[in-house]
Formats: sequence, structure tokens, C-alpha cells
Amino acid sequence: MRLLLGSRPFLILMFSALAIVPVVANPYILYVCNLGMLYVILAVGLNILVGYAGQFALANAAMFGIGAYGAGLLQVKLGAPYFLAAPGGAVLAMLIGTVIVFPALRLSGIYLGLSTLAFAMFSQWVLLHWNSVTFGGGGFPAPHLDLSPLPIGPDTGIYYLSWLVTMALVAFAWSLVRSRIGRAFVAVRDGEIAAQSLGIDLLRYKALAFAISGFYAGAAGALYAPLLGYVAPEGFDLFQMIIQKSMIVVGGMGSVLGSVLGAAVMVFLLELLRAFKSTQEIVFGSILIVFVMFRPRGLVTLLQRLPGWDEPLSSFDPRRLFAPAASAPATPPLAATRELADGGRR
Amino acid sequence: MTMLSVRGLSISFGGVQALNDVSFDVEAGEIIGIIGPNGAGKTTLLNTISGLTRASAGKVSLDGAPISGLRPPRIASLGLGRTFQMSQLFPGMTVLENVMSGLHRKMRAGAFAAAFRTPSMREEEQATAEKAWEALRYVGMERFAHHPGTALSFGQQRVIEIARTLIGEPKLVLLDEPAVGLSVNRVAELDRLLRRIRDEKGVTLIMIEHVVRLVMGVCDRVLVLNYGVKIAEGKPEEVVADPQVIEAYLGSEFDAKRLAS
Repeated sequence: MRLLLGSRPFLILMFSALAIVPVVANPYILYVCNLGMLYVILAVGLNILVGYAGQFALANAAMFGIGAYGAGLLQVKLGAPYFLAAPGGAVLAMLIGTVIVFPALRLSGIYLGLSTLAFAMFSQWVLLHWNSVTFGGGGFPAPHLDLSPLPIGPDTGIYYLSWLVTMALVAFAWSLVRSRIGRAFVAVRDGEIAAQSLGIDLLRYKALAFAISGFYAGAAGALYAPLLGYVAPEGFDLFQMIIQKSMIVVGGMGSVLGSVLGAAVMVFLLELLRAFKSTQEIVFGSILIVFVMFRPRGLVTLLQRLPGWDEPLSSFDPRRLFAPAASAPATPPLAATRELADGGRR
Repeated sequence: MTMLSVRGLSISFGGVQALNDVSFDVEAGEIIGIIGPNGAGKTTLLNTISGLTRASAGKVSLDGAPISGLRPPRIASLGLGRTFQMSQLFPGMTVLENVMSGLHRKMRAGAFAAAFRTPSMREEEQATAEKAWEALRYVGMERFAHHPGTALSFGQQRVIEIARTLIGEPKLVLLDEPAVGLSVNRVAELDRLLRRIRDEKGVTLIMIEHVVRLVMGVCDRVLVLNYGVKIAEGKPEEVVADPQVIEAYLGSEFDAKRLAS
């Protein structure tokens, strides 16, 4: 039980438990756990961008799609083996994701959200209409993972591959936020003026955050294609974005552990509601609103009170993200001005 | 040796001339005060020196190197530190993390080193934490190291901002009203701290300040701005006796002695 006394032991335990799922569970549970891990990757990547670096971008579902399409099409159209196609898809998403840094240099808050949403809509449109490359609205079957000389079936194979990649990417994010890079992200989020005055280059760190989250989303997409065996545009639409957004809000913005928790909770909920598909959007939308209003820092704050569960860089009210940042040092409030006026005579 | 040289600095926002042909020099090791009524262009002057605002005309050089037109992170890396009128501590960080981020530009670990926690990255991180503790002890704030920065009073936050700037070993620090809202005792502490920073760390200081007690006590020279124009420059006691300065602050019928007391 002592193992549960901290976030790191908890994660180690969780991944150990996930390692034995293929041995003990039925194919449905295996699929849900696999999907859950991909959502962990998506949530961690999105949280680095939105929660840590404070860039309120809404293009993550598109990056997820670009990763899936990239990996799938490289195999189907160019005959690339999966182990080249998958990194190819992830890197493609990373490169396209990085381009979004250009609006982010000028815009923040809701304005950045809208412009990246427009980008996501545009990529959806491309997937639907560029028939000769993307197979249009019907999508295309993507090959399952073939490990043929090894005695491992495609479902178990993609599961363990996802398990390895998820563990690595969670560990990377875990380390990253405990470094100068993590502090630079939070500095950019919390005060662009002060960050610059400390020698932190906004362009570099915004671009890095977009690149990392693009790569994470792309990697999740590249694993999603063989998991599902099919790639189609509707998996990467606005609802997908809402799912991912609600994961980090429910789990905890600016928290790696929160991303993992949020992904687990929301995938569970998603499966619970699978029979009532029409209610999913309403439920997810409502959860998002309720959390933003009443528990803006997510479920993880309940755990962060316990010893061993505290995280670095974790005191932050995400509601500030929705307001555009002040662009210049403001004038002092009235009280300070008054104080300043008598200062000399006291 | 001249630490900062400002020549003919002008800037206008729309039709407002915020700075008009301002020139001055700051010698290494000096503490310079900038005073002037609200809206005189004091903060704009600091913003322009640190690169946040672009001048319409004029030149600035830091320790002999021209810095006008460079971007703020570049100017910071040439050794210019800055604190702000409204605290600019990062609310998402503890006090210690805030101070550690002041050493960002001197650290080397890239994203890959950080993701893989290479030995050199860990060593650097450890050294940074130690330096941050040292900086916090230097300003007497180490007991707040693990508090969120924004839980402290504004005065304490500004002192931590000073520590965050100092840890990067700047040559020159621009302070924007460090004493706003401080009690008399705290002003005296700040006075001592600023002298120690100058004497022990060899840092040149330029501060905007309205608290006359601090300006008179600590500044070697004072610069007075009014409507973007430098109207006086000299020793604090000379400047406050200058009729032009008194007029700028208080209109013409005010006794200089009351201002100075």
C-alpha cells in the first residue's frame, strides 16, 4: 500500500497493471485500455501546450488526424512499412503543428482558440475533399499491425506498442516539466513581458510547445490507425477536440498526472455512454462547463494535497487562459496610487 | 566607465510624445533615480531601454554595446535585468521556481536533455536550485521558497522579483517603483538591500521611485522627467530644490522644504 503514497509509484503501478491486461482481459477491455492509453498521449501533449505553455489552441484533433492519415497513407499509398510510416505520421503532425505558432505569436486566449479552430476545420475539409490522396469522406482501411515472425497477434501487438510509447511519452513529459523548459513554458503562459525580460524567447518556446504537442497527437494518431484498422475524417472532428479538451480540464490543466487521470476518467465515460451516442456531446460539453466553473484546476487538486502527490509548477487558475493577456504593464490600481502619493510625506 | 548611455531617445504613441529627446549616461556602480509626475514617461523610458517598446528615434548602449532595436530576450542576455511596477512573478510557480526561472538564459539543457534527464541536465538543475536558495537568502525571503509567489504581499513579491533578476548576474537592473506600498520600516530594508546589491554584487541600478525617502537616501543621482522631457538631472538634494521640478510636481506655490522633509 505504501506504493500508493505518491504520484510516481502510482504511475509505475498503473503501467504495470496495464502490462498484464492482454493476458487477463477480453478483446473489448483490451481495446478500451489501448484507446485509453492513446488518449493519455493526446491529453499529455495537449496539456503541455494549453496547460503549461498557456496556448489556448483547438487544433489537437486535427493533429491527431494528420498523424493517423500520415501513418495510414504512407503505408497504403507508398507501401512504407509501419515502423517508418508511424514516425512519419507523428513528425508530419509535429511540423504542421509547429506552423500554428505563427498566429500564436500575435493572438492569445479566445482569439488564438478561434484561429486554430478555423485551421482544424480547414484540415477536416481537406481530409473530406482531397479524394485522390485521402480517399474522401469514406476513409480507407489501414493495415493492422503485422509482427508476423513473432507469435504476437495484431491486437496484442498494437497494445504493447502503445504501452511502450505511452510510457515513454508520459515519462518525457514528466521530466520536461521538471526542467528549465517546463519553467519557460509556464513563464510564457504566466507573463510574456516578464519572461522576455528574463531572456526567455517567446517564439522559441511557443514553437517548441506546439511542436511537442503536435508530435504527441501525431504519435497517438499513428497508433490509432492500426488499432482501428480504419481511418476516416469523422474521428478527428470538433467532438474529438471537445473530448481531448475535457480530459485536461477534468484531470487538471498544467499537470501531467492530471492528464493521465482525465484521460482515464473520460475514456471510461465515453465507453459508458457508447450505447447512448447522441448524449455523448451533451454530457461532455456539460462536464467541461461544470469543471471550468467549479473545479477549474481539475480532479488532480484532490490528490495534490496528499504527501508525495505534489507537482512542480502547479499553482495556476486556468480560467485566465480564456482572457487575452494584458500586453503591457498596467497602471497601478487606485489603492497603490494613493499609497504612492502619500509615500513621500509619511 | 559608462554602463548605460541614452542618446536622443524619442517615442510617440499616436499624437502623444511619450519621450522627447531624452539623453543621459549612467556610470557603472551608480544608483540612479528617475522621478516625475504620473504620465511623465518614466515606465516608457524603462520599457524602451529593455526593448519592450521600440523608440522612434535615439540610441541606447549597454556597457558599450548598442542595444536599441534588439528584442527583449537578447537585451536581457547582454546583462540587463528588470523588475516591474505591478509584480510580474509567475503565479503558477512557487517562489523558488520563480527565482530559478531567472537563471533560464544561463542554463544549457535543451528539450532532449530535459526529456531524458541526462546527468549534465540534472547537475545543472541541482546547481540552479542551490543558486536560487542562495539568492532568496540574500534578499531574506528563503522562508517563502515553497509558497506560491502570489500568496505574498506586493512588497515581498517585488523583493522576490529582485532576487529572480539578480540570480542571472545582470550588470544593470531597472527597477520600476520597488517601494510602492511599503511601510517605513520596509522602505529602510529595501534601502539597505539596494545598497548591498550595488556594493557587494557590483550591479548598477536605475529605479523609478515616488517614495522620496528612498530616492533621497539611496540614489547617487536623480533624473526628472515631465511630459517626456528631461527637466533636471543631478544630486537628489539639488534636484528637489529645483524650481522647475517643484513646479512640475506641485504647481508653482509649494515650499521645496516640505517636499524634501
